[in-house]
Amino acid sequence: MQYLSITKDEWDKTLERLLLSYTIFATLRNESGIEYELVNPSNITRISYNKPKPVTSLKTFFLPVRENVTSAISPGKRRIIMGIPNCDIAGLKLLDEIYLDKDFKDIYYRERRENSVLISSDCFGVQEHCHCLTYDIKPYSTSNSDLAVIHLGDLIILRIITSRGKEFLSQFSLVKPMKDQSLVSEIEKEHKATEALLLSSNKGLPGYSETGKLLRNAGDEIWRKYSAKCVSCGACATICPTCSCFLLIDKPGFEKVKQLDACQYPGFERVAGGEDALFEIHRRFRNRYMCKYVWKPEKFKPVACTGCGRCIEACLGRINKNELFLELALDRS
Amino acid sequence: MTIDRNIYKPFRAKLTDVIEESPLIKTFVLVPEEEFSFNTGQFIELSVDGIGEAPFTPSSSPVVTEKLEVTVMKTGYVTEFMHNLKPGVFMGIRGPYGRGYPVEKFFGKEVLILGGGCGLAPIRSLLYALENVKDKLEKVILCYGSKTPSDCIYKPLFTRLNKIEKFEAYRTVDKAEEGWNESVGVVTTLLNKVKINLKNSVAVVCGPPIMMKFGTIRLLEMGYKDDEIYLSMEKNMSCGLGKCGHCMMGEFFVCKHGPVFTYKELKETPDIWK
Repeated sequence: MQYLSITKDEWDKTLERLLLSYTIFATLRNESGIEYELVNPSNITRISYNKPKPVTSLKTFFLPVRENVTSAISPGKRRIIMGIPNCDIAGLKLLDEIYLDKDFKDIYYRERRENSVLISSDCFGVQEHCHCLTYDIKPYSTSNSDLAVIHLGDLIILRIITSRGKEFLSQFSLVKPMKDQSLVSEIEKEHKATEALLLSSNKGLPGYSETGKLLRNAGDEIWRKYSAKCVSCGACATICPTCSCFLLIDKPGFEKVKQLDACQYPGFERVAGGEDALFEIHRRFRNRYMCKYVWKPEKFKPVACTGCGRCIEACLGRINKNELFLELALDRS
Repeated sequence: MTIDRNIYKPFRAKLTDVIEESPLIKTFVLVPEEEFSFNTGQFIELSVDGIGEAPFTPSSSPVVTEKLEVTVMKTGYVTEFMHNLKPGVFMGIRGPYGRGYPVEKFFGKEVLILGGGCGLAPIRSLLYALENVKDKLEKVILCYGSKTPSDCIYKPLFTRLNKIEKFEAYRTVDKAEEGWNESVGVVTTLLNKVKINLKNSVAVVCGPPIMMKFGTIRLLEMGYKDDEIYLSMEKNMSCGLGKCGHCMMGEFFVCKHGPVFTYKELKETPDIWK
């Protein structure tokens, strides 16, 4: 991995100059936590680096909640999205497989992907429900983002991940190869510390494919028990970095509006004849986890749960899917 | 499909005729404004401008490309609007989508087809396709069931099929009306009438879920192997592109991996008959 660096002051000035040619979104701290926000000259110094995940996931940058998918694409200003945790980067891999599928490419998604420079951020520290490592996702990115950013002392360090990232940095003369190699060990030390925290806070939690095996054999009883507090609000799916189901709504002139949907909403699978395989709430509840841990892995390579823990945080009924998985693991042992 | 085609955008097709098949079922004859062809058993997303779209398997011959026919039962919001359409309007089409019937795999075999209600629509297209290759088939037997004689669609089809060499067609109704002199009972009762060489046969089932379920059970009892039974599944295929998630049935997107599956592919999947 190649590391480059620039002083924090110079980096902030560089970002200000970049605002002339790019729209920049970055992770900023607000009252509710860290969030992706639009960068302007006055908030550049408040950009938050290396903190665990923003409240909402990256997906809505590529899959807006609602968009007309029959209108012409107007290429907008190029975008930089900075501060992305690796759980969101890992989630993008699945969205890429679905939306850039060779037979049916979504041209709106492709345009946004091509138009965005992705700068991930190594997580130094964890939040209560972070469990990426349990699913073999490191708390720092080594693929799929263009660059990774690290704020260490008065330096901004950039790890080059893709050729596109390398090319992007080549336009800044003040970003230079990092001379002090001891900083690499310092970064690695931070990585290890975060990994140790993730391991200790998720002790006993089954891995991704292990969870799939447990769910495959789970009876109705446990789904009924955990769905008892579900109110079908769909917050879990809305906030998830990989849930991307949608509705197509017709408008006059054969126009179509695509709107994010959730399998937790009643009627999601209902057909005109009235049959509905997900009529009962515990079937809908089960569906989301079976989709993530059992069915998607049969057809897609990237994981469908990146262990970000947002669904646990967002749940109105305080349902913790990890408690369900731990109970299944305990029952089996 | 080219890479840059907008997968969500329908093309227009002119409605040139509407044929009343039964009190609840109509066939819409459409002339697409763009070059269009499909494999039998594949489906399209057909839209009423500004109202909505729904998935249908064309009921016409896949060999005829200048027009297509779609048979629609009035059963929901979109189909109700469709039933009020008059010739001359434009409808929207996306597709064709999915995996249709593997007709070449039927070569050299007897094909037993079980159809129920509006499930005869995809089957009619399959029958046209099989008629085109009848020299390569041993026999084609159609067993069709409807609720009453007036619910039976494509009435002239049965007379025509029985005149074609190697083809046999039987009908039954759940409830007879005056003048009905054919079978009475569920569609599986017709299976007692037909002569099939089970060692060299495949079966196709298409109809309402309850009929598909019991039809499949009966075929398995008769001795059909699970990979010799082809099912045309009906789910909420909303986008047709393997993306929107509404038609997921276990690991399968019915719109992409189906709608035609062998029973072997689906037998471990929960809730397939719902």
